[in-house]
Amino acid sequence: MSASPVIATSGLSKDYGSGRGLFGLDLEVEQGEVFGFLGPNGAGKSTTMRLLLDLIRPTSGSARVLGLDTVSQSLEIRRRVGFLPGDLALYPKLTGRAMLDYLAQLRGGVEPRTRDALVERFGADIDRPIRQLSTGNRQKLGLVQAFMHEPELLILDEPIAGLDPLVQQSFHALLAEVSSLGRTVFLSSHTLSEVERVTRRLAILRQGRLVVVDSLENLRKVAVERLEIEFAAPVDAAEFRALPAVTEVNVEGATVTVGFEGSADAVVKAAAVHEVRAIRPREEDLEDIFLHYYRTDAPA
Amino acid sequence: MAKIALRLRLPAAVSAAVGLIAVMAAVGALFPSVGHTIGTLNIPKSVSNLLGGGDYGTITGWFRSEIAAIYGPLVIGALAITGAAATTAGEEEDRILGLVLAHPIRRPRLVAAKSAAIAVIVVVIAVATWIGLIVGVALGGGGITLAHMSALAVQLAFFGFATGALAIALGAGTGRRSLATGVAAAVAILGWLINSFAPLVGDLDWLKYLSPFYYYAGHDPLTHGVDIVGVIVLGVLALVLTAVGMVGIERRDLRA
Repeated sequence: MSASPVIATSGLSKDYGSGRGLFGLDLEVEQGEVFGFLGPNGAGKSTTMRLLLDLIRPTSGSARVLGLDTVSQSLEIRRRVGFLPGDLALYPKLTGRAMLDYLAQLRGGVEPRTRDALVERFGADIDRPIRQLSTGNRQKLGLVQAFMHEPELLILDEPIAGLDPLVQQSFHALLAEVSSLGRTVFLSSHTLSEVERVTRRLAILRQGRLVVVDSLENLRKVAVERLEIEFAAPVDAAEFRALPAVTEVNVEGATVTVGFEGSADAVVKAAAVHEVRAIRPREEDLEDIFLHYYRTDAPA
Repeated sequence: MAKIALRLRLPAAVSAAVGLIAVMAAVGALFPSVGHTIGTLNIPKSVSNLLGGGDYGTITGWFRSEIAAIYGPLVIGALAITGAAATTAGEEEDRILGLVLAHPIRRPRLVAAKSAAIAVIVVVIAVATWIGLIVGVALGGGGITLAHMSALAVQLAFFGFATGALAIALGAGTGRRSLATGVAAAVAILGWLINSFAPLVGDLDWLKYLSPFYYYAGHDPLTHGVDIVGVIVLGVLALVLTAVGMVGIERRDLRA
């Protein structure tokens, strides 16, 4: 592990006016991490990534990538970083091969074996013109170009968009490999299930501001618990809503899902006055954590 | 970078070049049968100036009005302007530059490479014009020296460099494709109108010096050969405008 973080932003801001942009981002990403950068559309995720690559310049604040200043030393940063833009665009007339050759040439060449291995791994079609490829197949080319020069840091904006489950699997495996080699991955998403499996630490961004940075494990601890209770006959949801620790109640026929904080005791006792067919704990997923932070004014 | 830009744009330029040669051959072949009749028409001076002030009765006047005044600069200007705007602002709006510039490439170098590709396309069209002139004049019975035909092609190439560079400056400087295409085309057309009409209004004669068209055709290269001053003015203008594009793109945020 290197002493200095791979990404370090300090008060990084990009003000687009009328409340849009990124405001005072302080964030550190360590070497070898697969770091998830979450938030709904328009939260400022892509803006942050574009600032890190000097495609746009900050209104205030600064950032360092691999210890280098993102504005004055951007060329060296871009040499050592692989980038997959959200909403990837390539030359439609070129074949995948010609496109990859061009991008490799912009880096002064890449190891052909590394590129070929990635092409094979993702099953990318490099012989057809890009305009004939589906979104998913274009995204595979995007992933190949981001990884093909074996960069120290990967900045991936919505990398899983359009990929089928099998390719997602090989993508996740690749992330684990590069991370084990000490390389760092900074990836954004607004659909959360894809990040859950690969990141240990994540940040949630909302309306241009950082809401929370923590490990997945810690985030799970503060999240609401849920029980799914199946009754013999429909029951009145109000009985559960009235309980002090309950945060939400959903009714579907005779099944009631109750979200609560702390002990399950009150919920179980309230359920026990009816005939209960089954009680199942509902697996807490990242989606719930995310929505929790998104809906409430959770402290950063 | 220049290579890929060329690979994407050259096919259209080559078809335009072939079309240009064919049209010029046809124009030349037409001269023997219509030249003498049209030469006797009494055309108002303003219309005649728009068409290069040509005297249709001679093969020089015929080509000056048909090709030098309108068709040549129209084709070269259109290809240079649309190509320059597309390869800079167009690719930016299409989000391709966002990926390319995430690579270790300085933005001014990108603009220089794109400008070089457009310059090659301009040269292709200028050479096609030159070939078309040689063929057309031969079919029309001869009458223009090779040196003067070459002079027109050279002046035309520099006109193309300047209009293309204007679109590069606007496209790279603003990242807006329609603005770059529209403004550069408006400047070219306005230049053509000014160069045609300013000399008719005594007090406004000086306006012609503001028109790139004047430095291209004001000297009448088909009659008088190369105009060194015109070539230098257009060449310097092209270099300055390219530099403006390089500085402009360096100083701003990419739009998409």
